[in-house]
Amino acid sequence: MKKKILTTVLASTMTAALLAGCGSSSTTSTGSADSTATAAATEAAASDTAATQSASADTGASYENCTLTMDWWGGDSRHEATQNAVNAFMEKYPGIDIEVNFGAWSDWETAKAAEYVSGNNPDVQQTNFDWIGKYDGSGDTYLDLNTVSDTLDLTQWSDTDLDLVKDVKGGIAGVPVAMTGRTFYWNKATFEQAGLEVPTTLEELEADGPIFQEKLGDNYYPLVVGEYDRAILMTYYLQAQYNEPIISEDGKLNFTQDQLQEGLGFIDRLEDEHVIPTEEYILGEGADSMDKSARFIDGEYAGIFEWDTAAGKYVSALGDSASDFVVGNVLDGLQSYSKVSLMFSISAKAEHPHEAAMLLQYLLNDPEGVTLMGTERGIPESKAAYDTLNEAGALDQMSVDAHNAVMDSNPLYWNPIFDDSSLKGDTAAYVDVFDNLSYGNYDEATAAQTLYNAYQAVCTQ
Amino acid sequence: MAQGNTKTLKDAKKHIERRRRISVFLRYFVLILVGIIMLYPLIWMVGATFKNNSEIFTTLNPIPKEPTLQGYADAMKSYGGNINIWKAMLNTYSYVIPEVILTVVSSVLTAYGFGRFKFKGHDILFTLMMAMLFLPQVVLNVPQYLLYNKFGWVGSSWYPALIVPTAFATETYFIFMLIQFLRNIPKDMEEAAAIDGCNAFQTLIKIIVPMLMPAITSCALFKFMWSSNDFLGPLLYVNTPAKYPATIFVKLSMDSDTGFNWNRVLATSLISIIPNICVFFAAQNQFVEGISAGGVKG
Repeated sequence: MKKKILTTVLASTMTAALLAGCGSSSTTSTGSADSTATAAATEAAASDTAATQSASADTGASYENCTLTMDWWGGDSRHEATQNAVNAFMEKYPGIDIEVNFGAWSDWETAKAAEYVSGNNPDVQQTNFDWIGKYDGSGDTYLDLNTVSDTLDLTQWSDTDLDLVKDVKGGIAGVPVAMTGRTFYWNKATFEQAGLEVPTTLEELEADGPIFQEKLGDNYYPLVVGEYDRAILMTYYLQAQYNEPIISEDGKLNFTQDQLQEGLGFIDRLEDEHVIPTEEYILGEGADSMDKSARFIDGEYAGIFEWDTAAGKYVSALGDSASDFVVGNVLDGLQSYSKVSLMFSISAKAEHPHEAAMLLQYLLNDPEGVTLMGTERGIPESKAAYDTLNEAGALDQMSVDAHNAVMDSNPLYWNPIFDDSSLKGDTAAYVDVFDNLSYGNYDEATAAQTLYNAYQAVCTQ
Repeated sequence: MAQGNTKTLKDAKKHIERRRRISVFLRYFVLILVGIIMLYPLIWMVGATFKNNSEIFTTLNPIPKEPTLQGYADAMKSYGGNINIWKAMLNTYSYVIPEVILTVVSSVLTAYGFGRFKFKGHDILFTLMMAMLFLPQVVLNVPQYLLYNKFGWVGSSWYPALIVPTAFATETYFIFMLIQFLRNIPKDMEEAAAIDGCNAFQTLIKIIVPMLMPAITSCALFKFMWSSNDFLGPLLYVNTPAKYPATIFVKLSMDSDTGFNWNRVLATSLISIIPNICVFFAAQNQFVEGISAGGVKG
């Protein structure tokens, strides 16, 4: 009988624990979380940043000794540059200890979302433009940077930039590190093969389609655009027709269903004229982005429509033929938009906002920090940073060209609603509409209806 | 034996021998063909670690045209002295091994309770436990995060948020598998053990566990593979690069915005799966026996 009782207790506690979402041991001592994470920062201190340590004892700013947490996502070179800059900051201001965390973008936001829910977000953070809407709905998540403007020099950013990053309370939720937009990149060699110059207007591009087909063959196209690219290209086209952003600053859809249908008709026309391949043809290759596409690398796709920051990966994908890869302007006949590519924010819960602002000032405006950070987050929007890098010749010419191509085209405002997961997600509206339109499952009217409904669902009325 | 157009015993033997050879040839041909198809991605991956990006995406040939060791050289690079591939692998196994041990112990205990004892609420508890089998991990993420955050486990250096839950038999599938396996074991042995004076716990250790060994090995192997492949768990609960496991380390350099060198990512992946492959081969026989035997009797 004893055994029975014992096993009953045993089995039921196990199951109960299981049901409780694996929790159970409430007796476990709490509070050892922060003390253990210091190893990273202290170990990192001894890296190769001694050269940048300023000789002049810059003690102009007074500060308290403290520990700040910071995180960002990105790739190798960004991790390295940012770590070096942070280490240099710690050497310059002894007593301020910074614990960094970094990772790749995939699932990064999932982890950050959990942190926002529990209030665990770090003091200084690289943030995405749409996070203001997602995680700062109340305006209490990010510190209003106006409150630290004596430390962080906000005058380095234009007022239009700062207007973009305001939260619901009107505070500045983050400083825009860089602005970005899309332009065209061309494979000059393929155009020359067809006896053509790279296009500068939409008309020229449209005229090139049939010539490509005739001279080079059916599998040569002047431009390749996937579903999301098509959504942006359509937006560029419609914005040129009506000269207003697709979604206004207060979240209203500016175009009617008929106007959207006109935009979809434009995309359809490009396909018919052999300017862009059908989705069926693109997807048939199985490359999830063009830098992994053999057809692009071999020059069959002679143009792409990409972010101004993205040139690097295509150049590296092209290998030996990279010299044929040139930046094009935003074609006449299209109207671009630009958006904040990344921000840095300070948590509203940060215990040392002044020191956090010092860090941002160092990373984004101070010549020392700016030089170390480089263009890892795009062409910097801060005037001081741009000048520093420009003088040092540290700006990659292709990125500058692409960036200027976008910025010189008088880009319109862009609302992050455009990227809502119900529109941009893997199985969401853009994929649905542009695939089915291309496959011929939707006629233009049905596609326009579907797209219009999808926009209406997320836009304010 | 000789029949049809064969006349002598010699002819008949020859005929049989020829048929045997053809059948062996066909069998091996199919096996080798399928084997190559199955192994091809792995072979390609090994070859790709020596290629550059443009070659990786333009050719299916696993043998590199212009071999480079850059991928391996980069794979050895550390991030600001905080973390490198070896440290990342060490981190991985520093929580995977405790997880495996705790999972096995707790699952065997729970399965023994459910499989061998009838107690009040047995059926309802068992049903509830089975229902847990269908609960996806995604829905647990946020509540678990909030709870562990309250315990101060988030960012802790000894991975409690990953290890501790496994002590509470959270892998329902293993419990189910072990119970199925237990059903095949005759109760006579345990009765004999009881007559000899074993109590319930001694019976478990001395009789049940040795007989359950193949099933326990499969559980351990599965858990080993799942834990060492877990990406989101460590991403949520570890926030110091120095404590990152290999799954996160491999992805650190993957920035889809600006692009990255695939040979490096593939080289790091290859290095980090070597221990897993070794463990799997070492336990292969027991493993196969375990998963097939568990499913024989419903």
